[in-house]
Amino acid sequence: MENLGSLALLLAFCLAAYAFLGSVIGAWKRRPFLVVSAERAVYSVWFLITLASGLLVYALLEGDFRLGYVASHTNRAMPVLYKFAAWWGGQEGSLLFWSWLLSCYAAVVVFTNRKKHRAIMPYVTATIMATQVFFLILNAFVVSPFQVLAVGREITSVPDGRGLNPLLQYWAMAIHPPTLYLGYVGFVVPYAFAMGSLIVRQPGDAWIHTTRRWTIVTWLFQSCGILLGAGWAYAVLGWGGYWGWDPVENASLLPWITATAFLHSVMMQEKKGMMKVWNMVLVSATFFLCIFGTFLTRSGVVSSVHAFAQSPIGKYFVSFLAIIIAVTVYFILDRLNYLKTEARLESVVSRESSFLFNNLILLASCFAVLWGTLFPVISEAVTGEKITVGPPFYNRVNVPIGLFLLFLTGVGPLIAWRRSSLDSLRRNFLWPTAGAIVLVATLAIAGVRHFYALMCFGLCLFVAWTVAVEFYKGAKAIRARTGVNWPAAAIELTHRNTRRYGGYLVHMGIVFMFIGFAGAAFNQDRTVEVSVGDTFQLGRYELTVREIREGDNENYSWQHAAIDVKRNGSLVDTMEPENRFFKASQQQTHEVDIRRRLNEDLYLNFAGPSNVNPEKFVLQAYIFPLVSWIWLGFAVLVFGTLVCLVPSKVRLQYPRTEVIEVSKKHAPIEK
Amino acid sequence: MLRLKNSFLLLVLVVASLAQTGVNPLANAEVRRIGEKLRCMCGACSYTVTSCNMLRCHGAEPMRAKLLAMVEKGMTEQAILDEFAREYGRVVLTKPPADGFNLLGWVMPFVAIAAGLLVIWWFIQRFRKPAAGTPAAEPEALARYRDRIEKDLEKLD
Repeated sequence: MENLGSLALLLAFCLAAYAFLGSVIGAWKRRPFLVVSAERAVYSVWFLITLASGLLVYALLEGDFRLGYVASHTNRAMPVLYKFAAWWGGQEGSLLFWSWLLSCYAAVVVFTNRKKHRAIMPYVTATIMATQVFFLILNAFVVSPFQVLAVGREITSVPDGRGLNPLLQYWAMAIHPPTLYLGYVGFVVPYAFAMGSLIVRQPGDAWIHTTRRWTIVTWLFQSCGILLGAGWAYAVLGWGGYWGWDPVENASLLPWITATAFLHSVMMQEKKGMMKVWNMVLVSATFFLCIFGTFLTRSGVVSSVHAFAQSPIGKYFVSFLAIIIAVTVYFILDRLNYLKTEARLESVVSRESSFLFNNLILLASCFAVLWGTLFPVISEAVTGEKITVGPPFYNRVNVPIGLFLLFLTGVGPLIAWRRSSLDSLRRNFLWPTAGAIVLVATLAIAGVRHFYALMCFGLCLFVAWTVAVEFYKGAKAIRARTGVNWPAAAIELTHRNTRRYGGYLVHMGIVFMFIGFAGAAFNQDRTVEVSVGDTFQLGRYELTVREIREGDNENYSWQHAAIDVKRNGSLVDTMEPENRFFKASQQQTHEVDIRRRLNEDLYLNFAGPSNVNPEKFVLQAYIFPLVSWIWLGFAVLVFGTLVCLVPSKVRLQYPRTEVIEVSKKHAPIEK
Repeated sequence: MLRLKNSFLLLVLVVASLAQTGVNPLANAEVRRIGEKLRCMCGACSYTVTSCNMLRCHGAEPMRAKLLAMVEKGMTEQAILDEFAREYGRVVLTKPPADGFNLLGWVMPFVAIAAGLLVIWWFIQRFRKPAAGTPAAEPEALARYRDRIEKDLEKLD
C-alpha cells in the first residue's frame, strides 16, 4: 500500500511538471491541444494526490503501525475524528494535505474556466502547477508520509502508536488547521490570475473581477482559521489567553493583513483605475507570506509551540520563495507600462486617500509583526546574543496601529470619492464624534483610567454609529419609496448592494472584536490553594469548593472539582473544572469551565494537587471582561462576508473618468 | 558547573522554605505580574513564567520559586529582571532590550510608518490633478459634459 501511495505521488509530480511545461509551451507556441492536454493533466494530478491521501487516511484509521507517520501521530485508543485529523497533525501529512488542497483548487479553477479567459488560463495553470510541483517535490522526495519503519532491510511495526498530543484533541483543533490551510492555499488562485493577466498584458481588470470571490472566500477561511485557533487557546490552554504573538500565530496573521489591504485597495483599481502596480504587489505579497507562513511552521527556523522540530525542508522553501519573488518582480518591472494609472487624485480629503492610509496602516502592522517575528534571528546573527521578542513588544507597537485602523474603519467609508467638502464631513461625523467623546468622558468619570481601553471604546462607538447611520439612512429612503417595515427595508437595502453593506457588517464585526480586545485591560485573576469547603472571593463572585472527585480510565486519570458560584449571597451557578493526566503521553490537560456572559467570563482552571501542600489543590480563577464580544464579532464578520458573496440585486456600474469620450447620452448609474 | 550546582542548591533551599510557608508562587500577585515579563526557559514553549501551564515544568516551576524568593526579599522589579537576565542571558526577557543593535528592533516599525507616509505624500504629489483647470477656456459643450460628470460622480458610492 505504501508503494502505491509513493507511486501515486511520483506520478503526480511528473504530471504536474508536464502540466506546467505543457501550458507554458502551448501558450507560447500557440498549440491549443497542448494547453488542453495540460489542463487534463491537472485533473489527473488531483486524482493521484487524492489517491495518495486516501491511502494515508486509510492507514491512519486502520492503525497501520508499519508506517512511521501513523505510529508517531495516532494510537489505538484515539477517537476516529482525531485519527482522521492526524492527516494534518504532523509534518509529512500536513504537507500532503497542502498539496491535496492545492490540487483541488487547481482542478476547480481549470474546470470553472474551461470556456472562459482562454488567453490567460495557460499561465494561470502554469503558476498553480509550479507551486504544485514544489509541494510534490517535498511530498515525494523529501518528507514522504509513506516511509515505513524498518530494522535493517526488514519492515517492522510497533504494537501501538504514540498518539496525538492531548492538548490538540479538541474539536476546534481538528478543524483549525484545515480552515487556515484553505486560506493559505487559496491565495494561490488570485496570485495566479494576477500573474496570468500580467504575462499576457491583458487590458482592464478582468483578473480582479474573476478572483474577487476567491479572494473573499479565502480571506474568510483565513479569518476562521485564526479565530478558531484563538478560541481553542482560550478554552484549552488553561490561562485564558487567546493570542500569544507566537511566531506561528504571527505567520497566520501576516497574509491575512496583506489580504485585507488587498481587498480594500482593489476598489481603487475597480472604480478609478488607480494603484494597479500596488495591487499586483499586494496580491503577490499575500501569496509569498502564505508560503512563508508554511515555511515558518514547518522548518523550525523560529522556535514555537506549533513548529515541528528542525527539519531539512527549510532550504527548499527558501529557494522556492526566492524563485517566485524574482519571477514576480521581473514581470511587474517589465510590464510597468501596462499598469499605468488612469485617474488622478483630486483631493487629500477623499475616499482615495483614505484607502492609501488604510493600506499604509495595515502594511505597517504587517511589517511590525514580521519584523518582531524575525528580529530574534536577525539580532542573533548580528550580535550573537539570543533575545526574545515577546507580547510586550507587539502590544506596544500594534495597539496604537490597531486603534488608528479602527478610526479609519469609521471614517473611510463615509468620505466621498474624489473629494469631500467640509460640510459633508461635519454632517457625517459631528454626532458620532460627539457621542464618542461623551462615552469616553462618562467612562473616565466612572473610574476607567486605562488610556488605550478608553480610546478603544470611544472609537468603537464612533464606528458603530457611522455604520448604523448608513443603514438607517438607506433603509429610510427605501421605506419612503416602498412603505415596507424597517427590517424589510434594511434587508432590501443590503440586497441591492451586498458588497457595500456586507462590508459594513464586517466592519461591525471588527468593532465587536475590538470591544473584546479592550476588555483585556480589566482582567482579574487569583490563584489559591484550597481544599473541600474553602471559600474565596474574586471580583463580585464568591467561590466555594463543594467537592473534589478523582478517577481513572484507560486513557487518562482525572480530578474533578465542583465549585459553587455565588453573587450577592445567592447561588448563580456550579462550575466543574477538571484536569486530566494522559498516560500514553505523560501530559496534563486542563478541562477548564467557563461561565460565558456578554459582560464578563468567569473562568476556572483546576490545576490539580499543590506540589507544596500535597493535601491542597491549586485553583486558578479568572475574570475576563467582554471577551465574548470577540466570538460574537467573529460571527458577525462571517455573516457580513457571506453577505458580500451574495450577488447584488442591482448591478452597479462605476463610471470612470474617461466616459466623456464615449457618452452621447448620460451614462446610467443604476440599471 | 559550579553555577548549576549553586542554582540547584538555591532551588532546594527555596523549595524547602516554600514547603514550610506553604505558598504556591502563583498565588502571589507580584510573582504573576513580573512573571509575565520573563520567558519560560524550558526550551520547548514560548510562554511566560506566569502563563506556562506544563505540569511540573522544569523551566517555569524553578523560575517561579526563585521569583517568589526574590519578591519576598523585597527586591525591586528591575533588580529581579536584571538578576534573571544575568543568570539566563537576556533571552529570558520577553521585552527585547532597547540598546545597541536591539534598538533597531524597536524603531524599525515606526521608521516603516514614516517611510510609508513619505510614499503617500509622494503619491499624492505625483497623481494629484493639476490645480482645477481654467473652465473659462472650455467650449460650452464640454462644460455641459463636465457638469454632468460631476453630478454622476457625486452619486458614486
